Amino acid sequence: MPAVTPAMKEETKEIIYNFYSEECNVDRNTLNENTNVIEDIGGDSLMFLELLSLFKKKYGINVEIKSIGKYVLKHPSATLGKILDLTLLIIEHGDKIADLA
Amino acid sequence: MERKVVVTGLYMMNSLGMDIKTSWENIVAGKSGIRNITLFDTTQFATKIAGEVPGDVEEYIKKYCKKHTIKQMARGTKMCFMTAKEAVKDSGVDFEKLDKERCSVVLGVIGTGFSKIYEEKDPSNRILRTMDNAMPAWISLEYKLEGPNFTIATACSSASYAMSYGFDLIRSNRADVVVTGGASANITPEEIGGFNEVYALSTANAVPEKASKPFSKDRDGFVMSEGAGILVLEAEEVAKARGAKIYAELIGYGLSSEAYNIMAPMKDGYGMAKTMEMAIKHAKINKEQVDYINAHGTSTQLNDLYETMAIKKVFGEQAYKIPISGSKSMIGHTLAAAGAMGSVITVLSIHNKTITPTINYDPDPELNLDYIPNQSREKDVKIALVNSYAFGGHNATMVFKKYE
Repeated sequence: MPAVTPAMKEETKEIIYNFYSEECNVDRNTLNENTNVIEDIGGDSLMFLELLSLFKKKYGINVEIKSIGKYVLKHPSATLGKILDLTLLIIEHGDKIADLA
Repeated sequence: MERKVVVTGLYMMNSLGMDIKTSWENIVAGKSGIRNITLFDTTQFATKIAGEVPGDVEEYIKKYCKKHTIKQMARGTKMCFMTAKEAVKDSGVDFEKLDKERCSVVLGVIGTGFSKIYEEKDPSNRILRTMDNAMPAWISLEYKLEGPNFTIATACSSASYAMSYGFDLIRSNRADVVVTGGASANITPEEIGGFNEVYALSTANAVPEKASKPFSKDRDGFVMSEGAGILVLEAEEVAKARGAKIYAELIGYGLSSEAYNIMAPMKDGYGMAKTMEMAIKHAKINKEQVDYINAHGTSTQLNDLYETMAIKKVFGEQAYKIPISGSKSMIGHTLAAAGAMGSVITVLSIHNKTITPTINYDPDPELNLDYIPNQSREKDVKIALVNSYAFGGHNATMVFKKYE
């Protein structure tokens, strides 16, 4: 698993924010770490799966959805800030994210 | 005193227009929306014609939905969503000012239009794109409506059953506003092939615009088409309190099951007649008051013969004086949406004092009623029936009244 560098973190954040901006037809500049995907910009939970497949390809990550599910059950990720944190953990730990739950 | 149910919003999208104005003008002009099928290769099918909507649904939907939502909707759901948005806009209703637990969505749906022709291009979101309840769900989500929200599936009378339930919700004081109607996007290899298998479709491919000919002697089956029709039903006192325009009043309906055959209508139109009688009784009107019928008129041998016999059975000598439209002659048969399409056209006919024609009409000696042959007519309609019948024997008749 790649160690997350500040540059990777910044790039990941940009990818996530641009993704939600485009898919939800909202101005990128209005998004921040407290933006709630469902309540504030009309997104849904399925969108994260699309985003995940993008990062899985980009970093060759091996992770099962059920492993992410175990983590998310205890650490809900409804805001863009939380989604970024979750994504970085997946990049760094892959399927072992379940052990962090 | 019974609550009155009025129509305050309308919209339709069909083979004669992506918007209600164009569609209505083309219907009044007696044009046909039937063309060669372009959505897939028809080489292996006996039927090569249908009533596709004339615009690019994928482009139109971008004005109404977010990108991620579009990916989760099938073609029929997209048409339904756009039509519902426009109907709500037309009604002028502001749901924020109403009790949302008393606002409902009830739609007639028999599939979302998902097909292998779309799955091959993009297999994602299969569940969301195929679930029949997607249409009312998206509308409810859009306006955050919290009243009953569901679909009714009774094949080609689905939308009429949905409108009937919407009527009951308001009449029984369990809802103030109901978004209702139906949508259909069944021009797919699966549906064309399936209906060809049971010889229900026209194969008059040579001149597509003349293929749908209800009540004509050489009718040879229905022409599949797609579209959506939505009506906003509202309790009269709620509509009046907000100063809404009122197109017409929905005063009753008749629903019945023929319990006879899975495909064929009951001989001599017995079930159809019974349903019209039930509707007239439910609406508390006299038969003599009915001065227009929007027929189911599919352009199949049996339906058109039996529907004509049923009208004669119900109305006797008066049957010959009631003008009858076969709207499917122009827009084709929109299956689950058909009752809504007929109802939107009928409400506009009442509102605009214009009754629409049955085009491609070539008299059948056995069918001798006034089918408004080929040309629209001015008429101040007071009470109208809209008939819908379906495989499975699910009959429905709606009764609309001029609002005075």
